Amino acid sequence: MKRLLGVALGVLTAIGGFVDIGDLVTNAVVGSRFGMSLVWVVVVGVVGICLFANMSGRVAAASGRATFEVIRERLGPRAGLANLSASFLINLMTVTAEIGGVALALQLASSVHYLLWIPVAALAVWLVIWRVKFSIMENVTGLLGLTLIVFAVALFLLKPDWGSLAGQALAPAVPAEETAPTYWYYAIALFGAAMTPYEVFFFSSGAVEEGWKVKDLVQSRINVLVGFPLGGLLSVAIAGCAAVVLLPAGIAVTSLSQVILPVAEGAGKLGLAFVLVGVMAATFGAALETTLSSGYTLAQFFGWSWGKFRSPAQAARFHLAMIICLLVGLAVLATGVDPVLVTEYSVVFSAIALPLTYLPILIVANDPQYMGEHVNGRPVNVMAMIYLVIILVASLAAIPLMIVTGAGS
Amino acid sequence: MKTDRPLAPVPPTAGRTLDAQLHLMDRQVLDHDGVPVTTVDDLELNGPELDTNIPPGAPAPVLTALLTGPVLGTRIFGGRPPSTRLIRIPWEDVADVGIVIRLGVSGENLDAGWVERWIRDKIIARIPGGRHDPR
Repeated sequence: MKRLLGVALGVLTAIGGFVDIGDLVTNAVVGSRFGMSLVWVVVVGVVGICLFANMSGRVAAASGRATFEVIRERLGPRAGLANLSASFLINLMTVTAEIGGVALALQLASSVHYLLWIPVAALAVWLVIWRVKFSIMENVTGLLGLTLIVFAVALFLLKPDWGSLAGQALAPAVPAEETAPTYWYYAIALFGAAMTPYEVFFFSSGAVEEGWKVKDLVQSRINVLVGFPLGGLLSVAIAGCAAVVLLPAGIAVTSLSQVILPVAEGAGKLGLAFVLVGVMAATFGAALETTLSSGYTLAQFFGWSWGKFRSPAQAARFHLAMIICLLVGLAVLATGVDPVLVTEYSVVFSAIALPLTYLPILIVANDPQYMGEHVNGRPVNVMAMIYLVIILVASLAAIPLMIVTGAGS
Repeated sequence: MKTDRPLAPVPPTAGRTLDAQLHLMDRQVLDHDGVPVTTVDDLELNGPELDTNIPPGAPAPVLTALLTGPVLGTRIFGGRPPSTRLIRIPWEDVADVGIVIRLGVSGENLDAGWVERWIRDKIIARIPGGRHDPR
């Protein structure tokens, strides 16, 4: 019974934790401009993140090594440092975007300008990282994030023409008013949002934090294989809401208030209350995960002591690094840069950096010295190789497409 | 190192053979309590100086220490730090080499931990709750 509860909790947390500011914004933008015609990318992205999150969890459980230790060891210091610089900068951008997202959600709830909320949000993130136990932090934000299901409820209440939505999703085509490069640019952005590298850093470090052993692998596999696809459904619901309300009205999403507008229309004030809680929990949870991931990547590369299972004094450089990251994010937001814009760039840069993260994991997951009998099976390797090709193509195409389309405008 | 003749073949040794690149470099180092100390940034060998002739029958170089600190920078960007700037973990302190390197001593007294200790004592431990055990 207790085990069952643990599995249920893990799955619910994975659903609530799947969506972050990148998914919220990108899915809404895509829904409002391309309807459901990019849903297939969410499917591809979710399968990919399941595959690699599962693999990195298995590496962490079987060897006790988190992802970035493995990256340094396998790539050596030079390529490892290049990888660290790219991953860390993108992660820092995501931290900034998530804190901005928390502040924007607080602005929508309180009508107090978001710039005033930013220091509050950053301080709250730091306090939780400083003081709250890892499992409580995970579960509370994950469960509260579940309120985002209101996007799916709102979609039903909006009574859309299901046939035409399904038609758009199943027979994807570039809408008449958009160009093919823009379509592919947003496909890459959506892919980057679903497969953000920080999720893998966080997932594997979290496995070490919670002291997973090989016997916990079954549970982790259920969490990932059930939780992430359901989280992906939430993403699709966000795009669906935008496609039903914003696309016909000719509104292209540029702010968080437009992301949640369809919920207000479909599910009224109550729905609005739920979605505000959901957005806040999802962005706050992701702000915690990305801030921790910045600490994890640095500490694991340099071999510092890390982890929330230690007191801050026992992981001093790890905690100092996270404080500095939060201060940098705060400074960037204080310039008045639009957090939604930061988000849109961060997901594309994530897509560019994907091969850097996923290739070393694949290599180590095949190394019997680390994995013993838990090395990848052949079907997993075949899938992973296919994904590596997709990831590489997306990564190489991202910058040219960004230039050609003027970042999707 | 230059030699006039090919080197003698490696004598057979008892026990495990470690590949420095594969099993030692860039591995995580833990102290006897399992607390991370550093990553192996480089290795120190005793033996003949660079660019000297090795007389036949000279003893093989011996691994004397794991190195960390500024040597990581020079390993990535080139150059060589003065040997006074090297932070050494003597090989005698190593207890086990697996997918991590375990030391038989506490990290608390090692030179390799001074930055961590400085940041702990001067900054982190002074913030309220800094010594709070989360478990």
